[in-house]
Amino acid sequence: MIQDQGLSTREAPATLSRLQRSAIPWANPNRLMIGVMLLLAVLLPWLTLRLAGGRFITHLLITFFVWGIVTQCWNLIMGVSGIYSFGQLALYAVGGWTTGILALHFGWNPLISIWLAPIAAVVAALIIGLPTLRLRGAYVVLLTLAFHELLRNYVVNGPTLVSGGGYGLRDVPKLPFEQFGGGWEILLYYYFGLTLFAIATYAIWRILHSPIGMAFRALRDSEDYAVSRGVDRFRFKLFLFAFSACFTGLAGGFMTHYQGAASPSLLTFGVMINLLAMIVLGGWGTFWGPIVGTALLTALPEVLRAAEAYRNLTLGIALALIAVLAPRGLVPLVSQAIRTLVRRLRKQDGPI
Amino acid sequence: MEQLFQAIYSGILYGSVYGLMALGLTLIWGSLRMLNLAHGSLYLVGGYLAWTIIDQLHLPLLLAFLLAVAGAALVGLILQLALINPLLGKEGWDSASLIATLGASIVLESAALLIYGPQVKQMPTVVEGQFKIGTVLISNQALVVIATAVLFLVLMSVFLRASRHGLAIRAISQNMDAARLAGVPARTAFLIVMCISAALAGLAGVLLSSIFYLAPTSGFVPMVKALVVTIFGGLGSVKGTIWAAYTIGLLEAALQVYLGAGWALPGLFLFMIVMLVVRPNGLFGLGEVRRL
Repeated sequence: MIQDQGLSTREAPATLSRLQRSAIPWANPNRLMIGVMLLLAVLLPWLTLRLAGGRFITHLLITFFVWGIVTQCWNLIMGVSGIYSFGQLALYAVGGWTTGILALHFGWNPLISIWLAPIAAVVAALIIGLPTLRLRGAYVVLLTLAFHELLRNYVVNGPTLVSGGGYGLRDVPKLPFEQFGGGWEILLYYYFGLTLFAIATYAIWRILHSPIGMAFRALRDSEDYAVSRGVDRFRFKLFLFAFSACFTGLAGGFMTHYQGAASPSLLTFGVMINLLAMIVLGGWGTFWGPIVGTALLTALPEVLRAAEAYRNLTLGIALALIAVLAPRGLVPLVSQAIRTLVRRLRKQDGPI
Repeated sequence: MEQLFQAIYSGILYGSVYGLMALGLTLIWGSLRMLNLAHGSLYLVGGYLAWTIIDQLHLPLLLAFLLAVAGAALVGLILQLALINPLLGKEGWDSASLIATLGASIVLESAALLIYGPQVKQMPTVVEGQFKIGTVLISNQALVVIATAVLFLVLMSVFLRASRHGLAIRAISQNMDAARLAGVPARTAFLIVMCISAALAGLAGVLLSSIFYLAPTSGFVPMVKALVVTIFGGLGSVKGTIWAAYTIGLLEAALQVYLGAGWALPGLFLFMIVMLVVRPNGLFGLGEVRRL
């Protein structure tokens, strides 16, 4: 799709000015920062596993990777391309159930069946996307909610192969990591999750900073103009939908094998709201927003264990407040504040 | 034959209540261009208020009815003033209003959970008596529910066609800029629409929870069905919404009677998907031009 457009110039000539380089953001990632962050992420479990309760912290980090992939993908759909889809969790479940059933009932090796999770999720995304993505706003909300409810219904009331009599899939084979010994198992899961997270994050960064990402920003900011400049809305939306389903399904498959189970309670409204709150709190439609939001909402509930009963109430209030006071989310708010502060310290009014 | 009669009876019952719910949604969509995801929790407000007043305080029925509907309208008013008004005319209206109403619905639902607990509540029977036609059991309470719902649908229809505020609301739905230029106060109209819509949802809550049970999550399914009705009837069209409410009600009842209760929701959704592919503008496809 990128090559079709004839817009992609991967290698930027060295002599471009700063302004020209900023017009091709995909050509100059901040390599130093990426390297440092990857190194920290690789070394982190060696530190956390030495702490008291280190296994639990490592477990939280793995959870963060999985939900981080899902929220980034959902943000791509909701925030960047403005498709109000509530079907992301269903796609996640499609991935989880596909590999779970293959491994549990058909005796597949989890390391092989997990790669069928993204494929199944993409197929499901195409099935939902083809009728849905030509429609707008409220229609998309309804149809994707309908798909979610249909799937939930099927998972609870469907054949025993799928529903496990209402308990979902239990005793799903785990990834074959335990043969390396107890200490290595969670470490290997951590690295597997980290790899998936890193690949998904890079792919999403690349999409956002590519002609496709720019087409979407154009569609969001002025649809008429973008369409008249030859942006095919439906094709782009379908592509993004399938792309985000791929990683979401993979995350679902990984989580099923990590937990050794897939429960229908995954598809409740509360989980969906939690994920949405991660995106909205962090920053709707920004790159860092879902990552920061996921980190916050994975860590905070563990710190504030006592307030568990008020969790949903707090989330609801936070969503409403964010929508009214800072509709762009916390990340743009904070970075804007820092930028203003820096400028005030330098005591000059330059362009941003 | 008996099955058919049972389906028609339940269909009219469902259709009347869905009509009330969906009318509120469609009024808001028509005027504010907003998908009110808090609609289901306004249903809850009505239901729980009525239950509290009748079952706990033992106050008279009519008072409970009035207080519950007024309470839902009040919550709608607060919602509009606190959440929606600050967003009006800002950029990103679509997503911000969606999230604000979703937040409000979560707050109301979890408040219901904290106050009333997760156990289901059953409203006491307020209208005694039932009779049989063939093998179909018809309770007087259900008849009262149908009569009340139809009465309010008619009242709303008259209000929108004949009263000053009703005309203002219709004018705004048809063309916001022209209506404002002609001197229609948009914010006041929005406030009235929100109150009416919330009151209708509360009314539906009172009526339907007098027949079924009430739980903190029971606002979701009526809202989704109201959404199905609204979209089936063509978003923003009042006539279409009322026709669609009865069509969907009858369809749901028929699915329940002939295929079993588990099929009602999936069947509706499958129908909806096919429908949207074939006629994306709804039954009375008004498109983007004419509404209400």
